[in-house]
Amino acid sequence: MSSSASSQSGRPPASRCLLCNVGCPVRVMRAGPDQYLPDYVPHAGYAGLCGRGSVLVELADHPDRLRDAHRHGSEGREVLDLRAAAAEMAEALRGTDSAAVIVDGNYDVDTLAAVGAFAKSVKAKWAVSVPPSDEALVRGLDSSGCRFIGPEALEQADAMLLIGDVFATHPVAAHWILEAKTRQPRMPMLVVAASAGVTADFASASFQAAPGAGLAAAVAAVRTGNASALGPRAKGLAAWKDQLKKAKQPVIVVAADAGRASVLALAAEVAGLARELQAAVCPLTTYGNAWGAVRAAAAGGAAGVEDILKDPPEALLVIGADVESALAPQAVASALGSVLTLVYIGPMPNRTSRRAGLVLPAAFAFEQSGRALLGPGREAAFEPLLAPPAGVPTVREILALVGGGAAKADLASPVAAATARANGEPKGEGLLLVLANDPVHFADGSLTREARWPQAVIPRPVLLLAEEDAEAAGLADGRRAIIQGPGGRAEVEVVTDAGQARGQARASAAFPAVRDVFGWKLGGPDAFEPVRVRVGKV
Amino acid sequence: MADIATAKPIEKRVVLDLDRCIGCKSCMAACFYGHKELHGVEFVDIGPALLPVVCRQCADPACVETCPAEAMVRDAEGVVARAMFHCRSCGSCVRACPFGVLSLQIVGHQIAKCDLCQDRLARGLEPRCVAVCPTRALRFATVAEIEADGLTILGGRVAGEHPIRRRL
Repeated sequence: MSSSASSQSGRPPASRCLLCNVGCPVRVMRAGPDQYLPDYVPHAGYAGLCGRGSVLVELADHPDRLRDAHRHGSEGREVLDLRAAAAEMAEALRGTDSAAVIVDGNYDVDTLAAVGAFAKSVKAKWAVSVPPSDEALVRGLDSSGCRFIGPEALEQADAMLLIGDVFATHPVAAHWILEAKTRQPRMPMLVVAASAGVTADFASASFQAAPGAGLAAAVAAVRTGNASALGPRAKGLAAWKDQLKKAKQPVIVVAADAGRASVLALAAEVAGLARELQAAVCPLTTYGNAWGAVRAAAAGGAAGVEDILKDPPEALLVIGADVESALAPQAVASALGSVLTLVYIGPMPNRTSRRAGLVLPAAFAFEQSGRALLGPGREAAFEPLLAPPAGVPTVREILALVGGGAAKADLASPVAAATARANGEPKGEGLLLVLANDPVHFADGSLTREARWPQAVIPRPVLLLAEEDAEAAGLADGRRAIIQGPGGRAEVEVVTDAGQARGQARASAAFPAVRDVFGWKLGGPDAFEPVRVRVGKV
Repeated sequence: MADIATAKPIEKRVVLDLDRCIGCKSCMAACFYGHKELHGVEFVDIGPALLPVVCRQCADPACVETCPAEAMVRDAEGVVARAMFHCRSCGSCVRACPFGVLSLQIVGHQIAKCDLCQDRLARGLEPRCVAVCPTRALRFATVAEIEADGLTILGGRVAGEHPIRRRL
């Protein structure tokens, strides 16, 4: 759909996909009793919908959904009255001096504030779970003083620096980028990414940086005009700044890639370059509400998720998040094993819910109305895409049963700046491994983990390798391989990829066994950063 | 069912603008959900790019000719579609299609076949794959509409001087 088509209707979007911060408007149509389909009807703000957005309807009616409150006890699964279960949950938190609440950051901001208020009322610590790279991008940029824009404003740009494989991670953002390119075919479109993916195919110039710290180093080379530290391959970077400087409306689009310390370093470089160029910054996050979540958490005095898990509380309430699958599975499993009372509230079963003694069903974030902050200055109100199944309450309704549920998040203040020194590439031998956040295969603890569509496309963990590296390891496309890293080993299927640089590899983020290979420690300086691994035949 | 020879030629087709496709598979997902989880849009890896292949709605469709069960039909509007309850999943049409567009769905024992989203056309809307495409790589257009943009249709794709030249 073109931009002109996107404004066919003057009505505001009724509901939004929050599976990334493009925040596409979504609609459904009824196809029969209890059967709904995504409805791709162009309306206000509609510029298309990626595969993730299409999945939302399936999740609403998923056969595995949690529909009743229950207790896992010695005699098996015992179904409970919801009101009684909510009271038991509150009592478990009140009955100890060591209680904590972790809530998924993709709930609307007022639900997050309500969770924070409830946690305070029961004297519990609380934290908001957001992908580490998203959180680092927000903390690195929010107080930078940069001028921020959303992807819908990219159409007006006349020069772009794209950081990350933006077309792969945020496909609908490509709509406005290509609209700008159509208007100005000679527009400089410069791409820095760890893999030479589809975005680089469209670039006027591109540079393939090492994942993690390499991206920050490449942006620093653009900013300073000195690319000597990156080798002869990076020579062209020194001239990019001049191309951007000549533009009237230059924009830096930055999608958080791998890491946390390295994303903070990248954000600092982006902010510095944007100030020098007087360029706007368009930040792209994995969670639609990442910006709102980090601000709401800061305003509500939340702790960090890893801080809570490093010193496990006696009673822990987890709302909507699969902390075990999304972070460092081995370390989180160890922490959750120390929790005496684990309560889970959420729409779908996951590894965290299966550990919980008490489970309460709740609506998805898209089954309720609310507010999200898609980025600085991009507050978006949304209505439910669908009503939750009968008898399944929203998180706020559950909190209301125990005297909470009403709060309004303060989103006005940017979060305090955070910086970190990028550690550089890890030393040692072997391939440099990062997680691949594939736009279709996105089961890394996100809402769509249980959906059939992505599983139908790629139902197994894959390892993207350069052909030369595969050959050197005696592997080929489609062969099974073992990755051996600091935290253990995992079996994967090899996919040779022309966009993958030699000496680097990407593995599916979806699978805890793959994440365990990294051996990340909670709160460690190297958490979520690339590691060196050996790859060999099964 | 209309006779192949008498059915009027189809006016609009789904055509792919190779220079705009980013391989996001949005079209494939939309088709999957809109057609009872059958993949009417398949992706092929041609090396430099991953591209969707969509039925070309041939004027003289080999899939219709070869189907032993009359499950493949070309209707009065010129749309080649599959009658689900007639399909025996023999795979004759899959082998007959000269463009490799059709595939056999092992699980459902059905041939997935693009019907141009006739439910949407009846509502005045574009097919799902076109409506979701974020970059307008897929277009539902007549030859005249494509040519008005200075492009020509070659097979199922457009070609010509293009404002966005993807490097392949």
